[in-house]
Amino acid sequence: MEWSVGEGTGRYSASILDSEGSLSLSSLNLDGLAVDTPDVSISRDNQHGRLRVEIAGAPRLAHVTKLGDDWWIHLDGRIHVVRMHEPGSAETEPVEGGLSAPMPGTILEIHVKQGQRVRDGQALMVMEAMKMEHRIQAPMAGEITKLHYSVGDRVEMGATLIEIGD
Amino acid sequence: MPEDTFSSAPRPFSKVLVANRGEIAVRVLQAAREAGLRSVTVYSDADVNALHVEVADEAVHIAGQTLAETYLNSEAIISAALSSGADAIHPGYGFLSERSDFASAVVDAGLVWIGPPAEAISTMGDKISARFRMIESGVPVIPGEELTVPDGSDHLGALAACAARVGYPLLLKASAGGGGKGMRAVQEPKMLRTEYEAASREASAAFGDGTIYVERLLTGARHIEVQILADSHGNCIHLNERDCSLQRRHQKVIEEAPSPAVDPDLRQAMGAAAVKAAESVGYEGAGTVEFLLSSRGKFYFLEMNTRLQVEHPVTEMTTGIDLVLKQFEVAAGLPLGIIQADVGISGHAIEARVYAEDASRNFLPCVGRLAIWKTPHGPGIRVDSGVRQGDAVTVDFDPMLAKLIVHAPTRRAALRRLDTALSDLIALGVTTNIGFLRDTAAHHAFSSGNVTTDFLDSSDISGFSHSEVDPTILVAVACAAQRLGLERVLSDGGLGALDNHTGHSGDPFKTLTRSFP
Repeated sequence: MEWSVGEGTGRYSASILDSEGSLSLSSLNLDGLAVDTPDVSISRDNQHGRLRVEIAGAPRLAHVTKLGDDWWIHLDGRIHVVRMHEPGSAETEPVEGGLSAPMPGTILEIHVKQGQRVRDGQALMVMEAMKMEHRIQAPMAGEITKLHYSVGDRVEMGATLIEIGD
Repeated sequence: MPEDTFSSAPRPFSKVLVANRGEIAVRVLQAAREAGLRSVTVYSDADVNALHVEVADEAVHIAGQTLAETYLNSEAIISAALSSGADAIHPGYGFLSERSDFASAVVDAGLVWIGPPAEAISTMGDKISARFRMIESGVPVIPGEELTVPDGSDHLGALAACAARVGYPLLLKASAGGGGKGMRAVQEPKMLRTEYEAASREASAAFGDGTIYVERLLTGARHIEVQILADSHGNCIHLNERDCSLQRRHQKVIEEAPSPAVDPDLRQAMGAAAVKAAESVGYEGAGTVEFLLSSRGKFYFLEMNTRLQVEHPVTEMTTGIDLVLKQFEVAAGLPLGIIQADVGISGHAIEARVYAEDASRNFLPCVGRLAIWKTPHGPGIRVDSGVRQGDAVTVDFDPMLAKLIVHAPTRRAALRRLDTALSDLIALGVTTNIGFLRDTAAHHAFSSGNVTTDFLDSSDISGFSHSEVDPTILVAVACAAQRLGLERVLSDGGLGALDNHTGHSGDPFKTLTRSFP
């Protein structure tokens, strides 16, 4: 199993050591290279959804829950997401030059046409969700090669909205 | 509160319909229960399992997907009140709360309207008429020139000419706007058209009215608002100020009372101006007069919100006055029963708004299911929540999940309590702004009490956090959780049965670090 924390931090793989219910990492790799294992030992708590986490000998409780491939972790007053990946699986790459919806919502306006040249940062469309508007801007200069939606369409998060080529 | 208080009042009622959803509906429904009143609420298709439906004694379904069909559907709401035997309507905030036609329709239907007179709503709701009324009454107004832009055909020329006279930067506001919706800052002329169109559209979507107007943008000012209470017997008092200077794109993020920038003399002056503003429109009930306080200590009328505010709890905590109960009493025709001299300030209260949004991705609204939702509790901690564990957060409504309010003897103690309570608020499954709230409250600009309304918009918020956690520890926790099979949800719904996470609950003989025999 491989793990990533947040975005763009690389893939970890770990082997785990179980010493009478106290779990720790016996080895840890980041993008294939060995890195130091943290001084942490983890054990079950008497309540489901919690773990006892001892960091450098200091105990605290972590709340954890898994949704899809994501482990949501509340530790030391902060909330984190660790994503699980099948070993060797590729990142889900967005379409080359594609712009995806940052949230589910409705397309309010489209400012560009297919074949039009746009500059870096140009406003391409306006989306609405939760009664607030968000502008979709060009991440680079280029030519609009494909528009996937029309005004009024409802889109899911991550849906490719517009493709831009050179 | 004896149960016959409301049934023997001049305008008696015994059953309140709450025409809202989310945390404010829950708050008002609970207040009704405390007052010995029965309660009804309404819900849309998407809200079948919502918390406010559970809290109400009865709930009436209003079929429909859009807000216009449901929570903004005044006819359906009034008929829900009549069919369920409710004899009063509380609108909460947002939705129909500042629609004078709705207030009139409620009264015309023979129901008690728990809010100010329709005439006060319409005078204050139209920002131009409010401004003229304030000028007549001697309440200071924001400097600069204004112009109404009628919604319709070619209005951009008139708008551009007016904008040039007012001068940039300026603020475009929907006359019927509020809560930051339909309000746009325009820094330079070339942005006027896009910002105008966006503001007008946002206002139409949220309020069903696309009128916009122009105002000088004051920078470096604080947002200070004064809570007022007035009854139908000519009594009007103020309940001190709230400081709501910490805003992002005109949405309040953290509010507090009292303001670190207001001394007793200024409080007295602003309170008197707020009372004058309320009296000028014959106000009744709870209302808020918003002011901008300039860096030179001068204050200017911004607008009056003729309803309960989101941030009303900080006033309740510091004055000990239950504003929703007072709304009920005033609506019933009872006198306030308190005078200005009775209103004190006890300690300091701070409210943080918990939103389902990703601060690291330009505050995009986030959706998902709140697999774990545990709120902190303890002395001086109040959580007004519209959600519960297991609820889905969808794109259909405002992304505010809850408000965390803390109260402590001093501002410094309240800040510490806020940080601790936020760190004990566990929301897993939906990305929230909890970490951002902690970082912001801990920022020296806020902790020193020196924030102005442009602070967040002009700051690089990515530099706020100093709490980078070692990712290898998180990987270890995830690995261990996976190995121990914690992804399995207990069949008895055990997730919901969990108590707080301090380690002191459950087995009383077991604490975090050791077990007792």
